[in-house]
Amino acid sequence: MTEKMLNDDITRQVTEFFQQLQEPVEVLYFGRKDDCDYCDDTRLLLEELVETSDKLALNTYDLDDDAGLAEQYRVDKAPGIVIAGRDGDQILDYGIRYSGIPAGSEFSSLINTMVLVSSRDSGLDPQTRQVLAGLKKPVHLQVFVTPT
Amino acid sequence: MLAHQMALESPMIEAEMVEAMEFPELSNRFHVSGVPQTTINAGAGTVVGAVPEDQLLKEIQRAIAK
Repeated sequence: MTEKMLNDDITRQVTEFFQQLQEPVEVLYFGRKDDCDYCDDTRLLLEELVETSDKLALNTYDLDDDAGLAEQYRVDKAPGIVIAGRDGDQILDYGIRYSGIPAGSEFSSLINTMVLVSSRDSGLDPQTRQVLAGLKKPVHLQVFVTPT
Repeated sequence: MLAHQMALESPMIEAEMVEAMEFPELSNRFHVSGVPQTTINAGAGTVVGAVPEDQLLKEIQRAIAK
């Protein structure tokens, strides 16, 4: 029997936390066969996570085998994760990504982001929303974090 | 989380959380010393630490005005 990424206690807490999920959330995972220390753990983590709610679904891809799709989603690192929405057959890409394993404090960020995406509402201040609505140029934010 | 909120709000914004230790080359390129560090458009702007939304917004505006 393989070791679980999430122990029973965490699984219980996450299941309860995910009661807040509203609209469907689609997770796209991109791994790579070689030279990826955290790919397997990340995939297992996501597999266990999506099991905790029927609002969550996971698609597993490979950065090399599915290069076209990776390019479409602008994923260039493995493990690379896209947290998107789903409306019927349509995947709603909001530009939300994780590069690297979302462990430690990033695990909490990941499940909060899933709830955020499922709400379809950024929750930002009205003034911030107003400024963002006027953006004319693409903005790529890269937030560097560490798992501790 | 704030970056992801902004990405959800605006179709112009993409927000990527990068595990700094797994991608040392990228972390070095953007001189990441403390986390969280937010890099805007490949170094056009930088914010170190967790900041309120108006502050990140200002830095985004400054970075894209360049």
